Amino acid sequence: MFAEAPNIVAEEKKNGSGRWVGASLPRKEEDRLLRGRGKFVDDIKLREMTYLRFVRSPYAHARIVSVDTSAAEALPGVVCTITGKEVAAQTQPFIEIAPDHAQKIRDFPMAVEKARYQGEPVAAVVAESPSLADDAAELVQVEYEPLEPVVDSEQALLDKSILHEEAGTNRIWTGIWEFGDVEKAFQEAAYVVNIDRMHFHRFSSTPLETNVVIGQWDPKEDRIHYWCNNSFPAFAIQFLAAHLAVHIDRIRVQTSDIGGSFGIKITSYPQMSVCALASKKAGGRPVKWVETRSEHMISSAHGNERTFRDTRVALDKNGEITAIASRHIDDCGAYPRYEPLGCVIYSQVFCGTYRFKNARIEFTQTVSNKCPVGPNRGYSRMQHLWFLERIVDICAHEIGIAPDEMRLRNYIRTEEFPYTTPNGCVYDSGNYPKMLEVAKGLIGWDDWKKKQADARKQGRMIGIGIGTTLDSGTNNFGQSQIVNPNAPFSGNSQGANCKLDIYGEVVVAVGSCPQGQGHETVSAQVVADVLNIHPDMITVRTGFDTERNVHTGMSGTYASQFVVSGLSAVHGAAQKLKAEMKRLAASVLETKEDDLEFGVGQQGPEIKAKSTGKSINYWGLANIVNVNSAVLTPELQDVTLNCRYIWRANFKVPDKAKKYGNLTLTYSSQLHIAVIEVDRDTFVPKILDYVAVDDCGVVINPRIVEGQVYGAAAHGIGAALMETCAYDAVGNMLTSTFSDYTPITAVNIPNIRYGHISTPSPFTYSGAKGMGEGGAAPIHTISAALQDALFAQGIFINNSFNNADSIFRSLKYREGGQLAEQVRLEKR
Amino acid sequence: MYPRSFHYHRAGSLKEAVSMLGQLGEGAKFLAGGQSLIPLLKLRFANPEHLVDLNFISGTSFIKEDSGALHFGAMTRHAEIEHSALARMIPVLHDCAAGIADVQVRNRGTIGGSLAEADPSGDWANALITLDTTVHCLGPNGTRAIHLEDFIKDAYTTALAHDELVTEVEVKIPPQGSGGAYLAFKRSAPVYPSASAAVQLTMAGDVCRDAAIALGCVGLTAIRATEAETALRGKSLNDKTIATAAETARAAADPQSDMRGSAEYKRQLVVALVKRAIQIAVRRARGEQIEGAHLYA
Repeated sequence: MFAEAPNIVAEEKKNGSGRWVGASLPRKEEDRLLRGRGKFVDDIKLREMTYLRFVRSPYAHARIVSVDTSAAEALPGVVCTITGKEVAAQTQPFIEIAPDHAQKIRDFPMAVEKARYQGEPVAAVVAESPSLADDAAELVQVEYEPLEPVVDSEQALLDKSILHEEAGTNRIWTGIWEFGDVEKAFQEAAYVVNIDRMHFHRFSSTPLETNVVIGQWDPKEDRIHYWCNNSFPAFAIQFLAAHLAVHIDRIRVQTSDIGGSFGIKITSYPQMSVCALASKKAGGRPVKWVETRSEHMISSAHGNERTFRDTRVALDKNGEITAIASRHIDDCGAYPRYEPLGCVIYSQVFCGTYRFKNARIEFTQTVSNKCPVGPNRGYSRMQHLWFLERIVDICAHEIGIAPDEMRLRNYIRTEEFPYTTPNGCVYDSGNYPKMLEVAKGLIGWDDWKKKQADARKQGRMIGIGIGTTLDSGTNNFGQSQIVNPNAPFSGNSQGANCKLDIYGEVVVAVGSCPQGQGHETVSAQVVADVLNIHPDMITVRTGFDTERNVHTGMSGTYASQFVVSGLSAVHGAAQKLKAEMKRLAASVLETKEDDLEFGVGQQGPEIKAKSTGKSINYWGLANIVNVNSAVLTPELQDVTLNCRYIWRANFKVPDKAKKYGNLTLTYSSQLHIAVIEVDRDTFVPKILDYVAVDDCGVVINPRIVEGQVYGAAAHGIGAALMETCAYDAVGNMLTSTFSDYTPITAVNIPNIRYGHISTPSPFTYSGAKGMGEGGAAPIHTISAALQDALFAQGIFINNSFNNADSIFRSLKYREGGQLAEQVRLEKR
Repeated sequence: MYPRSFHYHRAGSLKEAVSMLGQLGEGAKFLAGGQSLIPLLKLRFANPEHLVDLNFISGTSFIKEDSGALHFGAMTRHAEIEHSALARMIPVLHDCAAGIADVQVRNRGTIGGSLAEADPSGDWANALITLDTTVHCLGPNGTRAIHLEDFIKDAYTTALAHDELVTEVEVKIPPQGSGGAYLAFKRSAPVYPSASAAVQLTMAGDVCRDAAIALGCVGLTAIRATEAETALRGKSLNDKTIATAAETARAAADPQSDMRGSAEYKRQLVVALVKRAIQIAVRRARGEQIEGAHLYA
């Protein structure tokens, strides 16, 4: 009665617990994906398909004097062209989330009057083939008048050259977070550490599959159909409906397999707009746009870049941090788009893993003539967590406490969970000292300390660094009201549907769009436990589709939450289905509901009456409801065996004025330790040993979690040592190819040893906590290890990106951070 | 992106390829392994009207030993050299072939194509210039043999005429007591090195009788570090003499700052790479079998 026979490896048993949840089940998706049978957007071929190519600005900041598309239009095989001006004439600017003056920013999917970053689309051509589109794009003549570019956020604040004249300033948003009694804490401090400037660099994710959109705006039906790999489609359609002035019901978005997103594909809605408008102009023919790698590097989305100014840290005589004061300046690139949400999202982890109560952070965001940012894995929290980890190591060094001991003195105590942070977030669970103990054990801390001391005598530069981090997941969209009191968002929700199809197949649909996270597998594990059947007896429909009707306005796959929002919705739908099946089976089998047993019999999944031994299989149940309904008794008329469930998080709207409230439901934690040696000849920072310990509460599928930890660790190591989105002084992007950006590859990834502890979340039905982003632990850890290696040389690791070249220059030419000049200890 | 449209021609013999290019004129180019040309076509940095494909000509891919030299057919893939027992007779060749880019590139890229491209960041010219290497060419007027020093003229410029191609690369087997090494520093596998060093020594006991040292990616062509060579010749090699020689290579390099590293850092790398390459070459000259691995960030 189910479509496919179970093909699962026989020895893959439930983990002793009698449950599928917790078992290292191989992923249901693997067979398809590893054999090249996945279906990605570019695999979709439609009749009368056309191909779109963008013409992009070579300048970071320039007035567009004229755009001449006549030669392109004259080329045989060209269907149409479309310019920024045409787009602006037909659409409303995208919604701005920021309040006040930033509301005046006019953000269109293509440059209209001005280009504001190198690579910004200025026009597009649509042709019968991709290569003809490339030919035509070369024929579009654009005349530019270059303007002064702004490539640094502190320079942007001077407003000498303004990107968005309508807004009148490059400053998008400023807010102050102040909690406790900061002044008093500084007055009473035994030590005050002053740190001039630190900088978290701009990097991105490099998903194997770039952004791809097929858009079709059928004039006959007046509806838009998208096949795309946007990773937050429910958000995209809200932006697009307002912008294109169409009923949101008239936009259908379908995603299929997605080759990675890491948050970067959330902001592909501008390109989605252009594909629809181009399709309309092309008479309703489908328009496909496949982003090239270089386009992806210069114009998809980058991660937020942040500068930390004038940091002051108060400590008591035991080295416990009592207060932090600092000024943060975030650079969101040319258009805010998803921003300024990052200006509040950082505060989900306001105090990191630490228990200080007093803090004052002034947070400002500016635009600059660089690629707009998007929610890059570890979004906005990793910058802040890196900042806190740097503070902890610098303070420990200045007052002479070992970095592990310093952390133990400052970590939130295990008995304090659930812990309310100074800004009202509630950390659900955690055990940071235990993670440190496990990580130290795995790496052989004492051994390495001895080896390090011996090596130092020979002049070798070896450092051991700890990075503690948080991966806050399932956010309260109410935090948007802290940046804009009028933002109509709060809470969090996800939808799922669980049904018996006409022949009794168990089919689950969920409003997520996985990009490798294994949603098919873990959803099947959850439902298998509810119905007491095998996960292979369950079909899970992943990939977003507005017409499946299982989404809410927050559906998508982002922000470390599927295990909470997605699986809670799946679990809820399965429970609902089970309740209906029970009522129906009790009636048919003429027994009481508590006499029923769910399981698998000779005719597949079934429900049995324990008292009589009579049973009915799923086909029998589905048959009654779907095609034999005259036999249904009146009290069972509401049974559909087709159950939709919307899960909602139990959040309140935060106090906007005080910036106080619970912003996230779960807090996974990670603790990494790295041992790094800086080679004395090549200055290459070589990772000698690496340990990653993870705590995401109850684990649904250990194999998937472990895979996520390795992936996040590789991404973070790449970011710390290899990957930076570099621009020159006039805004030319210097890393527009993989040869220049050098995403991490297998030869660069050290052997990572994995450890795990589990502190179940009291706030989720399963005890699980979201963990997909990983908190960028390697960036904190590698900075810590390099700092430990280079303290003796007087070097201050004040940047999150360090490579052999930068280490060489800071040692030989004193170009980087210098402890003596930039860090100052006051003893009271 | 997609290349501009071009006419594709498949040559049946090297002679035919040469005559095709002559007839098709300046807008035509040879296509060997395509590991430089295809990306340039895709980015539309190169826009030839005609491509003459050399990949289907038989007898152009071989490795053989003859008259005290190794002979490589121009279309011999890097991977074939990497896995050739014969090529291991000259360790520099194995080091070089095994470290070029990644597996895909090594499976397609050819030694002849690499030399004819004369990319300043290419590996082969730098490795081979420390050896006695002759490039055999074929043009409309017949064959000629050009010593590698005379073959590479400048960045992306060789002694080849437009319709002339490389047929074979001949490398003299170094005398007994020789050892060599080729080391490159790359930020990740698929990218060009930030800097590379090739070293070829002839030793008599601990004394260096002869030395050839070349630096790659730090000038318009591979650079011979002649002062460093002089610093080794006739000397008993130890940590100190090796370090001193390596240090003189710093000034020989003429690098540019780019994403692969600042000019100052590349000079530092050159010193480190030369030092390590000498150390490996000395041990190999003694007959030790050791792998010289590239360095990665």
